[in-house]
Amino acid sequence: MSMSHAPERPRLTLGFVPLLDAALPIIAREGGFFAAEGLDVTLSRESAWSTLRDKLAAGLLDGAQLLAPLPLAMSLGLSGPPCDTLAPLVLGRNGNTLVLSHRWAQGMAAPYDDTPGGRDPAVNARDFAARLRHRGAPRPRLAMVHPFSSHHFQLRDWLALDGLDPDADVELVALPPSRMVEALELGRIDGFCVGEPWGTQAAHRGGGRIVATGAQLWPGHPEKMLGVTRQWAERHPLTLTAMIRAPIAAADWLSASPEHRRQARDWLALPPYLDRALDHLPTLPLGEAPVDQRFTALRPEAGQLGAVVEHLARQLGGSLDRNRIDACYSAVHFDAAAHQGCA
Amino acid sequence: MTKTTSHTPMPQPLRILLVDDETVRAAMVEEALGREGHEVICRLQGPSSLNDMVARHAPDVVIIDMESPDRDTLDSMALLNRENPRPVVFFADQHEPDTMQAALAAGVSAYVVDGLVPGRVKAILEVAIARFDAFQSLRQELDRARGQLADRKRIERAKGLLMKHQDCDEPQAYRMLRKLAMDRGQRIGEVAANVIDILEGLEKGQ
Repeated sequence: MSMSHAPERPRLTLGFVPLLDAALPIIAREGGFFAAEGLDVTLSRESAWSTLRDKLAAGLLDGAQLLAPLPLAMSLGLSGPPCDTLAPLVLGRNGNTLVLSHRWAQGMAAPYDDTPGGRDPAVNARDFAARLRHRGAPRPRLAMVHPFSSHHFQLRDWLALDGLDPDADVELVALPPSRMVEALELGRIDGFCVGEPWGTQAAHRGGGRIVATGAQLWPGHPEKMLGVTRQWAERHPLTLTAMIRAPIAAADWLSASPEHRRQARDWLALPPYLDRALDHLPTLPLGEAPVDQRFTALRPEAGQLGAVVEHLARQLGGSLDRNRIDACYSAVHFDAAAHQGCA
Repeated sequence: MTKTTSHTPMPQPLRILLVDDETVRAAMVEEALGREGHEVICRLQGPSSLNDMVARHAPDVVIIDMESPDRDTLDSMALLNRENPRPVVFFADQHEPDTMQAALAAGVSAYVVDGLVPGRVKAILEVAIARFDAFQSLRQELDRARGQLADRKRIERAKGLLMKHQDCDEPQAYRMLRKLAMDRGQRIGEVAANVIDILEGLEKGQ
């Protein structure tokens, strides 16, 4: 690396929430891809998305794994005080599962099964709506991870497939991903929408069944993104470039061999990261039905956030400023980072 | 303008829900806010019942440890519970950036009911911040004092306590300590000190 590209801030702290799609930052750290870019990165495990958001906005974190809707919600001041936030890199696509307790999931098809219910998520949604109307009170309690998450919006979309009103017909609550499985097993919630490994863990432990996936509802959607504040990005352009390049290199390495996926799984299972939450996964599952977790196509595209933008606009009761969205999910930093060193 | 100091009515006490897994710190905050005449409800442990607690107690203010996993539950209540007559909104008073910065540094988060007088919120927040800070210094002092005790001695003591309380053998107790240390990114000696604190505290309480 030439001196002219030495990052302004070689020691960084990046926040993450224990989920499979924290994989790229973890691989970049454990596999030496950050180090190769001249970065010494500490990964800070956070227990809530709000905490991650507040620490990023306050400058206590240099960057963070963020729910894809969050950078826009932060920029618009919908979640915490307004903070202009950029999402220059996709960290993962798909990965969400909708899990229901056995009481509600009985007889429903598994997503992608070769049955009408497996092929079309509306079939299970119709089943759920029929049971709900038949049973009446109390309303089922469904959990998602944060109001500004694809999980929340996908849950709403799934309920709406058979005309249910997510605000009236069910009770929506937010729980951290790592608490979903236990809450379902204890009967405190009737179902949830969450990222991996928590959905397959719930199914593996027997507390519930996967009845739909985010990949079915929003195929290939950007699920997590790297987030930095605009102020930070302007002060540390070379650091940002290095911070984008390392996870790209990690993704290339990951897709190069099945052995790398097993190695990545073992890194993710280290105690500071996901610890025992990966016990049911012998390797990092990539592109497999029904979850279809992907760590490819990392270039951000504002156009791919269409569903998110629609939900945010509905919440605001109006339309969103196109320029705001384009600025937030701009690929300009990605393109600069990806092309650096090619000349 | 005439002064009416002699007849200034006492402000109505506020209902404050305190969410903090750090029992000693929670007790400190509860005591201080209680002394100010507020009604403090403490919630220490247990996932997902926070929705029910907020519905049942209808607090005016929620004070919560910034690191608490319950943060997202409160965030969503602010946005989703439209039928709740007392919505909790995120305290984002940009007129008080110093208080916000101090709260963040101390690890205090607050959610307040819409329409609550900002000055009253600020006063409560300042009490909470002071106690969070005081707890932090107490802990640092304690840590310094403990530094004089050899790690090894501490680990032996922690193992003994764990064996007694968890009904396990020595290798199991050691594995438990090691796992706690890895989970928290702490040295095993630090974890042993915490375990001693907690379990000795329990024994004294019995």
